[in-house]
Amino acid sequence: MIAMLRPHSWDFPLFLHVFGAIVLFGSTLATASLALAGWRLPTVRALSRSSFWAVLGAAIPAWILMRVGAQWTYSKEKDSFFTGGDPTWVGIGFVIADLGALILLLTAGFAFWWQRSQRPVAGRIVAVLASLYVVLLAVAWLAMSGKWGGVVG
Amino acid sequence: MFHVTGAFLFMGGGIAAGVLNLRAWYAERPSEVALLLRLIQRVALPAIGIGSITALVLGIWLVHHAGYSYGTFWVWAAIVLWAVAGGLGGRSGRYQERAAKEARRLIETGDTMTAELRALVRNPVGNALAYGSGVTLLLILILMVWKPGQ
Repeated sequence: MIAMLRPHSWDFPLFLHVFGAIVLFGSTLATASLALAGWRLPTVRALSRSSFWAVLGAAIPAWILMRVGAQWTYSKEKDSFFTGGDPTWVGIGFVIADLGALILLLTAGFAFWWQRSQRPVAGRIVAVLASLYVVLLAVAWLAMSGKWGGVVG
Repeated sequence: MFHVTGAFLFMGGGIAAGVLNLRAWYAERPSEVALLLRLIQRVALPAIGIGSITALVLGIWLVHHAGYSYGTFWVWAAIVLWAVAGGLGGRSGRYQERAAKEARRLIETGDTMTAELRALVRNPVGNALAYGSGVTLLLILILMVWKPGQ
């Protein structure tokens, strides 16, 4: 409904948000698959090195793009649609986005440790964190595109 | 909601494939190249396959359900670009398969990197096709947000 009603001046911030979210999902999926492959092969350097660079070089910049786009879009939509408070889907989006910053920083830290030490436990923590964030991102896009809790606040 | 899920799997799978493909450039041994290209096959390609079909089928249904016209520029252009992205991605896959085959051969003969394998992984035509497919997906996203011609 918002998509049908929004003026074109809102399109660019929304594009930044969605583009950032897609790159974030893809790079986190790549990190999770690399780290899960590393569960059985923890000393393969290409896996630990690639996990670290996928988080640092793709997922974290994409998170920044997604979050900036989200705030910019929200600032435009809130006066028109959320005058009665934020609907559930907006709240879910904010919680998962902000929790994601913490998860990504922890993932980057453990990926760095894995790359340096080649210790299996570091790779396994990266696998768990990245897989968890892939699932949370799926919940976020389902909540936001399905407008859980109603379109307006 | 499920159209968007399809789009995230389609485009996110493409991003994952791009990240893994780029990491294969910097692999130091054929076994690492083979492993990274296998991850593209096992993780990224299923996401792209399921996502592309879901996004297309539900997108066509949504055009009908929401009262848009199939003759509108952004609708038919997105369908054409969907086919172009699939074609480019499919062609680039052949280059990756060639690199994976050479990597598997080298694993059996000492797992030492050769200039030939490096050239196959960094093949400009194969990479142009793969990343061209990614640019096409970006154009689809632009059409979906701005809806030109609506």
